[in-house]
Amino acid sequence: MANDTQDQDLGYTLGMLTLRIWLAIRAIQTGIEKFAGTGTAAKAVNIDGAANQYGLTEAASYKVYAFSNYQGVPGPLYDKFASEPLIPGWGLDLYNIILGPTLLILGFTLLLGIATRYTLFAMGLLYTSLTFGLILIKQDAGIAWLGTHIIMIAAALVLAKYNRFTVLKKW
Amino acid sequence: MNTEAISKLTRRDFITRGSAGAGMLLGAPAILKAETAAAPSDEIRVGFIGCGKQHEVLFNAMVNVPGIRYVAACDIMKARLGRTFSAIKSRFDYNINRYTDVEEMLEKEQGNMDAVFVATPDFWHAPHTIMALDAGYNVYCEKMMSHDINEARNMVKAMDRSGKLCQIGHQRRSNPRYRYVLNELLQKHNIFGPIININGQWNRALSSSQDIVSKPEILPDAETLRRYGFNKGSDKKLDEAELRHRFLNWRFYTALSGGPISDLGAHQIDIFNWFLGAQPKSVMASGGRSYFKDREHFDNVMCVFDFDAPQGNARAFYQVLTTTSAGGGYFESFMGTQGTLEISEREAYTNIYKESGAENGALWDEMVARGFLRKQSAGVAAGGSDAIASYESAPPDKYALPGGLDKPPHQPHIENFINALHGKEKLTCDARHALESEAPIYWVNPAAESRETIHFTNQHLHT
Repeated sequence: MANDTQDQDLGYTLGMLTLRIWLAIRAIQTGIEKFAGTGTAAKAVNIDGAANQYGLTEAASYKVYAFSNYQGVPGPLYDKFASEPLIPGWGLDLYNIILGPTLLILGFTLLLGIATRYTLFAMGLLYTSLTFGLILIKQDAGIAWLGTHIIMIAAALVLAKYNRFTVLKKW
Repeated sequence: MNTEAISKLTRRDFITRGSAGAGMLLGAPAILKAETAAAPSDEIRVGFIGCGKQHEVLFNAMVNVPGIRYVAACDIMKARLGRTFSAIKSRFDYNINRYTDVEEMLEKEQGNMDAVFVATPDFWHAPHTIMALDAGYNVYCEKMMSHDINEARNMVKAMDRSGKLCQIGHQRRSNPRYRYVLNELLQKHNIFGPIININGQWNRALSSSQDIVSKPEILPDAETLRRYGFNKGSDKKLDEAELRHRFLNWRFYTALSGGPISDLGAHQIDIFNWFLGAQPKSVMASGGRSYFKDREHFDNVMCVFDFDAPQGNARAFYQVLTTTSAGGGYFESFMGTQGTLEISEREAYTNIYKESGAENGALWDEMVARGFLRKQSAGVAAGGSDAIASYESAPPDKYALPGGLDKPPHQPHIENFINALHGKEKLTCDARHALESEAPIYWVNPAAESRETIHFTNQHLHT
């Protein structure tokens, strides 16, 4: 009987750990992608054995990360939100600034196990705020996708008492 | 580079010269004047007139062009002005002067600004360009030159009178891909044979053709919009909501723009004339308000131009559709007896074909060997039980250009303007050459309205 309980606890512990890692990686990498951009390398095309005089180039694009690439809310979505009467301009600009850093902070906090319950709750609020925006612009697939995140967060909160490998277990 | 001394332009002078109407130019105060640092003497000092969407396209293409110093911007919408100020501040870490009145900007920036970029609604292009040229500034003005051919002619006169440079934003004229195919493939090597037919289109989906909306609180008020002529062409007194709709959607109104054939078609019909080296001799057209029934302009237009080009007679079909994106987006197709060039500002829509029975097949092979072309695939017959051999032509081989453009499409045109200001290049599309090419476009809507062929005379097309 005791072994059954221990096995069950181990399952809950590993389940909680899996959810923590998934949700953390999801938030961290999404935050990092806010800094992604496209770089291009181009070289002049040769015609008759010499570089052409028109400026025709062969281009190869590659992905690059830089602070200067940062955009919290992607451009096309930003433009749609900007025309929504329920989203004030200042609020959208603030959200655009804090979204990436917030995802990174919450992701690392969750991964390290610092105040896991409050971190999960804050992450739930963040995804709810994203859901609000998507409702306004009628992006049903995105809403469903975020709903899946919310279910996972709720499951992690239910399993929080089995949380192990933490830096700060309290909260 | 310093602007030459100029005669002082008064408000009365401009209202007398301008054709947009008195009352539109009453000045509003500048909302903020910020500190600016002096530019090194070899920099071109630039101001912006109009800070909307097209301005953003130009600015994003300019930021990598060296030797530009941004000094001022003007727009009647303060939110746009703030965005431009912030974009320059965050990218270059200096401030520009902000104005809500063009006239005030041109007066106050004397000696501090060399050129302006005009990206206002079409009905303001001519007044703003003429005002800036007469005040001694060089001008880069977005196409279409104007919604009215006579105002476009006045722009050419102002350019001649002022001795300043006036580049019109037909950016394909500076695009290396377009210049390459014209100089090398069409003119020097003539691989397509005589061009007999031309076909061009810009097909845009309904989703991209809807009314533009914005939050009312950031838009100019009714009084400001009336002062700046957004009530033009209306017999009744428009309320604030109607004026704001016109401000955001000026492209739908005949007194404010030339409509889709001008907004979209101008770029491509320009290429017909440029590549053939001739103006058309007639146009017939059909158009309708087929979906957007409340709009003043036709939402779909089809037209045919007849040419007597140096290489022989040819005809060009063009369609602008705002109700579908099917049919391959936007391109210009030049169909010769030996091959076809299908070119677009988008590389993805660009294709080159050699006719299966081309008499100059050896030349095509040589062009590939020397790097002028790349062969992509041999023609493959579609086959199938529904193919009737006697109806079919053998499919053409497919080729591609040897390279592309690694910059935003507008950047080479802006570089040409900046280099011309430094005396290093000639403008690729000054106002006179732009009007030679644009002039036939002004007659498409009248031809569609009257359902009669318009045979061009010097009166129609002169610059």
